[in-house]
Amino acid sequence: MQTGNRTSLKQLRDTATLIRKDVIRMVARHGQGYVQQGLGAADLFSYLYFQELRFDTANLNWADRDRFILSTAHNTAVFYATLARAGLLDPETLTEYCLDGSSLEINASERLGPLVECTCGSLGQGLSVAAGLAMGSRRQQRDANICLMLGDGELEEGQVWEAAMFAATHKLSNLTMIIDLNYMQVEGDARDVAAIDPVDAKLESFGWQTIIIDGHDFEAMFASFVAARADTDRPSCIIAHTTPGKGVPFLEGQKSHNMVLPEDTAGDALQWLEADHG
Amino acid sequence: MAETDDNPLKSDALHLDDFSVKQRPHQQAVPKYYGEALLAAARADTSILALTADLTAPTETDLVRDHLPDQFVMAGIAEANMVGVGAGLARAGFIPFVHSFSVFLSRRSFDQIAMQIAYPKTNVKLVGFMPGIDSLLGVSHQAIDDIALMRALPNMTILEPASPADYQDAVAAALAHEGPVYLRLYRATAPATPLDGVPSLQAGKIRCLHHGNDAAIFATGLMVEQALLAAEDLKAQSINASVIDCASIKPLDVEGILDIISQSKSVVTAENHTIIGGLGSAIAEIMAGNNIARPFFRIGVQDCFAEGGSRPFLFGKYGLSAKDIAAAVKQGLAS
Repeated sequence: MQTGNRTSLKQLRDTATLIRKDVIRMVARHGQGYVQQGLGAADLFSYLYFQELRFDTANLNWADRDRFILSTAHNTAVFYATLARAGLLDPETLTEYCLDGSSLEINASERLGPLVECTCGSLGQGLSVAAGLAMGSRRQQRDANICLMLGDGELEEGQVWEAAMFAATHKLSNLTMIIDLNYMQVEGDARDVAAIDPVDAKLESFGWQTIIIDGHDFEAMFASFVAARADTDRPSCIIAHTTPGKGVPFLEGQKSHNMVLPEDTAGDALQWLEADHG
Repeated sequence: MAETDDNPLKSDALHLDDFSVKQRPHQQAVPKYYGEALLAAARADTSILALTADLTAPTETDLVRDHLPDQFVMAGIAEANMVGVGAGLARAGFIPFVHSFSVFLSRRSFDQIAMQIAYPKTNVKLVGFMPGIDSLLGVSHQAIDDIALMRALPNMTILEPASPADYQDAVAAALAHEGPVYLRLYRATAPATPLDGVPSLQAGKIRCLHHGNDAAIFATGLMVEQALLAAEDLKAQSINASVIDCASIKPLDVEGILDIISQSKSVVTAENHTIIGGLGSAIAEIMAGNNIARPFFRIGVQDCFAEGGSRPFLFGKYGLSAKDIAAAVKQGLAS
């Protein structure tokens, strides 16, 4: 829940840049990974953890915390990097990303602890659990918000629409779903795989409030969450258009689910991010 | 369908009335053993919630709906979502009882159960009705593999009571275990008689309902009644068989089972389920793992799909009757 204090746009932007650098470093160690999605969602993650979500770094199990569910459970480089920047994870552990035995698995699991509110990875399940959490939170009269991030390809899972109907039926207005809309999935452009568009009209017809934003515009993110909280009758969906590889010009727009990131490319990317924002 | 006194469906074994508004006049009132048990538990603990997927009356959750409406959640015909919602509610501190027919709950929602209930050990109670081939509604409604599926999941407890008289204890046992439980239930078609002189149903414990050293019949759910009938029949032929109620399919009472087998010349298992992966497989694993050899027969669905029909017809056709159990015992003793 937004607590009244606005984080400056500069701080959000600078944090996103730091997160992007972490993403590059984490994926570069393996030479391949979820780099494009991480760069694409870095602004959303900066906003969520430095403006929107209410949590207690000293008590991760705080019962009134806002819950964040990463239904795109593979997009972990950006997730772990953000947690580290937000003081929720020891930054030293980022070097263990995807190493054998590490709790920083490529698909986030609750081995990491309460920061992973439920183990997704098997696509389509996050919204159902979020709906249950939202219903439970409301029954307990908590003012916590339940927030989840979904990929656009995941909209092809039927369970998402079961859950969407359920959330609307039960007027779970404390539930906000962010769709990281980059039209990128394993097989290519999501629109070539399945007719997911128009996402907004589909969800509206299911009884949701929808808000379309530029997923790199912090002011738009702020306004969209204000609108989400203002609607006390419906769950809300923030459809955030994001660009894979955002922030590094020579990576921007390249669509690859699990992109190869050679060492020199990673070096160039880091150099660019340093020069531009460092 | 014409309803006459000689209509074989008169007893309404499948509670078809639950799919229509009006109760049919010939029906005898039968207690809702599970519904009453759940209602009592939910009255005592307001964190208990009943979720159902458009099968309120057939899962006897109408009692919670009518008496404790705030603790009832209609999830619609969307079992996969219902399982996920249940997991979310459990994570918020509630104790969701999630209901459907066994087949839809287990097969349709298997991945959701694995990832959102079994893996994280969320305190969700899955309650499936219409077990095994006991259904007029046909192959789509027959859960012949649910025990195998649930058994294969780490962290899952499976309870299949022999009699509706045990349902209150089964609900208590499910609540006593903080974590995932699968309850496999059938609806009573007549008032149930509590068993005398045996301990109450508990997770991890067998109950010996009939004693005899010639053979041990390990049974679960509806097959316990068939096993007891078989034991009576065998007794008349001077063959003494034990009947062991294995309501706790997981965890199994390994020690108790080994003790019974050590005193028996042959072993028969009986389950209203495929013989692959269920109780028979579990007992076989225990025997093999402990180097115990006995003549061994598994009564159950013999690796095939069935069809809709009455219980006596299907149990007869698919080899799940008391007669089949008795024949297996005799074959074991002859070998």
